[in-house]
Amino acid sequence: MHYDIRLHLHYDYARSSGGGRHQIRVVPRTLEGIQRVVASSLSFEPAPTEREDFTDFFGNSATSIAFREEHRTLDVRMNARIAVSRPEPGLDVSPDVTGLRRQIGELRSVAADTPHHFLAGSDFVAIEPEITDYARASLLAGGSVIGIAQDFCRRIHDDFTYDGKATTVATKADDAFRLRRGVCQDFTHVMIAGLRGLGIPAGYVSGFLRTIPPPGKTRLEGADAMHAWVNVWCGRDAGWQEFDPTNDMRAGNDHIVVGYGRDYSDVAPIVGVLKTTGGQKGKQAVDVIPID
Amino acid sequence: MSERGETGRDKADMNDTAPVPDIGGSASTLLKGYRLIDGVLDEMVDAAGTPKPVWRQFISAIEALGPDELTRRFARANQYLRDAGVYYRVYDNDGANEREWPLAHVPLLVDEKEWEGISAGLMQRADLFEAICADIYGPNRLVEQGVLPPGLVASSPEFLRPFAGVQPAGGHFLHFCAFELGRGPNGEWWVLGDRMQAPSGAGFALENRVATTRALSDIYGDMHVHRLAGFFRRFRDSLTAMASEPSGRAAILTPGPLNETYFEHAYIARYLGIMLLEGEDLTVTDGRLMVRTVSGLKPISVLWRRLDAAFADPLELRSDSQIGTPGLAEAIRRGSVTAVNALGSGILETRAFLAFLPKISRALRGEELLLSSIATWWCGQAAERQHVIDNFDRMMIGPAQSTRLPFEDEKATVLGSSLSPEQRASLLARIEANGGDFVGQEAVTLSTTPVFVGGGLEPRPASLRVYLARTPDGWVVMPGGFARIGYSLDATAIAMQRGGQAADVWVVSPTPVKQETLLPRERDVFKRNVPGSLPSRAAENLTWLGRYIERSEDTVRILRAYHVRLAETSDPDMPLLAYIRDYLKPVGIDTKIAIPPGLVRNLDNAVYSAGQIRDRFSPDGWLALRDLSKTIHQFAESVEPGDDATRVMTVLLRKLAGFSGLLSENMYRFTGWRFLEIGRRLERGIQIARSLGVLTPEDAPEGALDMMLEIGDSVMTHRRQYTVRSGRRSLVDLLALDPLNPRSVLFQLERLKQEIGLLPGSGTGGHLSPAAKEVLRLHTMLAIDEPGDLNPEALSLLANQIGGLYDTIARAYFR
Repeated sequence: MHYDIRLHLHYDYARSSGGGRHQIRVVPRTLEGIQRVVASSLSFEPAPTEREDFTDFFGNSATSIAFREEHRTLDVRMNARIAVSRPEPGLDVSPDVTGLRRQIGELRSVAADTPHHFLAGSDFVAIEPEITDYARASLLAGGSVIGIAQDFCRRIHDDFTYDGKATTVATKADDAFRLRRGVCQDFTHVMIAGLRGLGIPAGYVSGFLRTIPPPGKTRLEGADAMHAWVNVWCGRDAGWQEFDPTNDMRAGNDHIVVGYGRDYSDVAPIVGVLKTTGGQKGKQAVDVIPID
Repeated sequence: MSERGETGRDKADMNDTAPVPDIGGSASTLLKGYRLIDGVLDEMVDAAGTPKPVWRQFISAIEALGPDELTRRFARANQYLRDAGVYYRVYDNDGANEREWPLAHVPLLVDEKEWEGISAGLMQRADLFEAICADIYGPNRLVEQGVLPPGLVASSPEFLRPFAGVQPAGGHFLHFCAFELGRGPNGEWWVLGDRMQAPSGAGFALENRVATTRALSDIYGDMHVHRLAGFFRRFRDSLTAMASEPSGRAAILTPGPLNETYFEHAYIARYLGIMLLEGEDLTVTDGRLMVRTVSGLKPISVLWRRLDAAFADPLELRSDSQIGTPGLAEAIRRGSVTAVNALGSGILETRAFLAFLPKISRALRGEELLLSSIATWWCGQAAERQHVIDNFDRMMIGPAQSTRLPFEDEKATVLGSSLSPEQRASLLARIEANGGDFVGQEAVTLSTTPVFVGGGLEPRPASLRVYLARTPDGWVVMPGGFARIGYSLDATAIAMQRGGQAADVWVVSPTPVKQETLLPRERDVFKRNVPGSLPSRAAENLTWLGRYIERSEDTVRILRAYHVRLAETSDPDMPLLAYIRDYLKPVGIDTKIAIPPGLVRNLDNAVYSAGQIRDRFSPDGWLALRDLSKTIHQFAESVEPGDDATRVMTVLLRKLAGFSGLLSENMYRFTGWRFLEIGRRLERGIQIARSLGVLTPEDAPEGALDMMLEIGDSVMTHRRQYTVRSGRRSLVDLLALDPLNPRSVLFQLERLKQEIGLLPGSGTGGHLSPAAKEVLRLHTMLAIDEPGDLNPEALSLLANQIGGLYDTIARAYFR
């Protein structure tokens, strides 16, 4: 499956911004056996004074930009052609939680893709007893780690209401959990918190999702958005598996990965301190266009 | 012992304490209450109560002084600390409070031979931690070989991923370390904790030394005590040596005046002559760390950071940090700046690491540790977990990932035996379920050392903090440090949670020691510092300090003139008084209150501005300012309008004059002084022009002109220069246009013209800077005015134009 992906972020500053520095993570990465970047470009308007592209700890493509001149707007544009071919999920070869714990203990490495990084609480995902208690029902229902993740993914999808107004980009897992509402970012954080509470390593995936228009309707320009889902370490043999609690599904060929991290803060599309005394407003437009 | 058991308490204590024998033949009054705690070692005396050799001379000397003299002398040390403004900040239920530094006056004495052993052990330990840090942020062999559990690295909040694989610019991760030591019951010194991220307290150790030697200068002089200055000189030289290439500077980065130990940051910066910066002083351009100064951006290549790494860069570390510098992490990755210590080194303080150190030392360096750590068990391993559970009562139990010292962690670290049955069951269940989250540490007892209480010496438990600094020749150990002294007789280490005092540590040699000072030695190459690196924020604070001081003085002068008249009149509503009331009200000065809150606020603002730049202040200047502030707050509650207020205003004027005198007579004419001076002159120009505009119109109430002369402090000059009564023109001539009157507006502009002309970049290549042009224009225009030209409108315009000059300066230098 090939996609053309277009992303446009636009910011207006109430007052002229006297410089500023940002980090941007919006360009998909090449993942062996899952997806390949055929071509990509990332541009900024106005042109930043400094720009540095680098790969972060988790292997994501990141860009650091800085402005010295005053500016009133900022436009970030990303274009990419991506080939996706995710293997179908095979047989469940994951252990139970006890087996998983033993396997984790045998891993003598702190490389970025080892499960050790994804067990402790992190900025957005504190391990909260009430979320762990909620997750525990899936422990009994699931059996294997993949079974547990699948069951927990379904329960979040069923028990939570998708509501773009209930939470913000800064909402933490425990608040979203109490509301039982939110967007993909919140469902992802709650699922991560619950799994980690059970001792199952879980991380955050930032990316794009192809949305299929209702039958008879054409795809709306710019109507897509960036998406988030969960990466779960399911043992030595099954490895990392991705679950999408917003849509109650395993990640498939409609899911395009931008970055992996412990939670949103590791892979936020744009972070940065804007030197401005007024407020700032942002708009986001995303198109995920299948080309074959 | 000549007398014992004078009181009931002493009798009761007789059974379990050892008496201290008489020293030097004289009746020992100081030591008669010195009762050892059962089973606990003491630093001063041995188990039989005999003073150890290193203490003998000291004890005889203080015996000779006697309790009364000692009390007097120790009071002198306290006075010194108050005068020097030594404080630390405590956050409690009432918010942030400044506390006096709690000096315990009797130093802890350590024999030079014993100190050498401690030093060797700590140098080995510092090298070991350097190697661990290099491994964690490098190849991770310790994890790979199974020496260090991977979870202790990957789950640590102090494992900073932006620096994984990054080599530190200076070649080393650690440059300045501290260790907390205690002497255990077996007589050995143990390491209770390692401070590797941003160790605090070295400045307090210096102040302890200064204060203690104030009290005991003769004894200190007679004994061969190792000096501290050499340690600091060598570390400063190492920092500046690292900074010298290429064209960089060294600076100290502080979280700011609200930090617990800001006093110490400012103190060290002043003592070492190194810039003290806050996050907002810094910016990153093209991967280089730069300081914003009044002469533009200047590179920083060595940053002695005193803030926790997590707060250093909101872009890559904690995004909610308000005190960081965006881009700092990138500058470090690019190798353009050496952080002292490296960002990420905080992981070395992880409490659970103590359990693995002996194995790590063997794995990395093939060595046994010379100094043991406090016995520590990580409950992530089955056997260790069982040991902690089996010995629950004598364990201090806390979070495995904690980087706090067990006795600085009251919220999370508990003594097993102190728990209620419910708490105990709950903690045990958590240890069983998530053992990896916990460590148990043996609840050691610490040795005791003497403190001076109620005219005699008593033992108190103590721990010792020791500092190491990296130099091109390797580690140097501060010969001393500071001792924490517990308040109670409970000698378990965890009891230190309840706070305590700090004492100086004297390392005593049998032979004379080298005298050390920070001043260069004769043979040192003489080198001038590069001027013009005044940070913009410091310049702004200095300018406002000048403005607030001057504004306060002007207000006090007006209020004095007001209250003199109020005291003399029977009619508080006489036109002149009502007129002044109406003039002051819009500027926030309510004359109905003798000391108006607006005036108090001005002085508080002056103290605040000065508090932002403590490193640039002499202790005398700070003391004078604090005295002013204290005085006005005291008076504010009790003073009545009229005569009483007049008297108080005179006191305040005298103190203000004292402070101004200190500034103009004692402050070196650095760029910083110029900004202070500019602030004062601007404000005085504005105030005099304004007052003239209000008090000299034809229709001003009777007596206004005389009052103006008083406010302008020019009564006598006017009498001498002009033979007539106060006339409007002669008064405007004297207070606006006379170039020789230090209170006239023209005089202020003349001074401003000079000082602005000397600011960086004000006359490059023959072109005047905008501020230089503006002050030249104002000065010229006023110089050719005649008294008749200066009607109230013209004076009010003049005041506004001088105010506008501030904005021009701010745009050029404070951005």
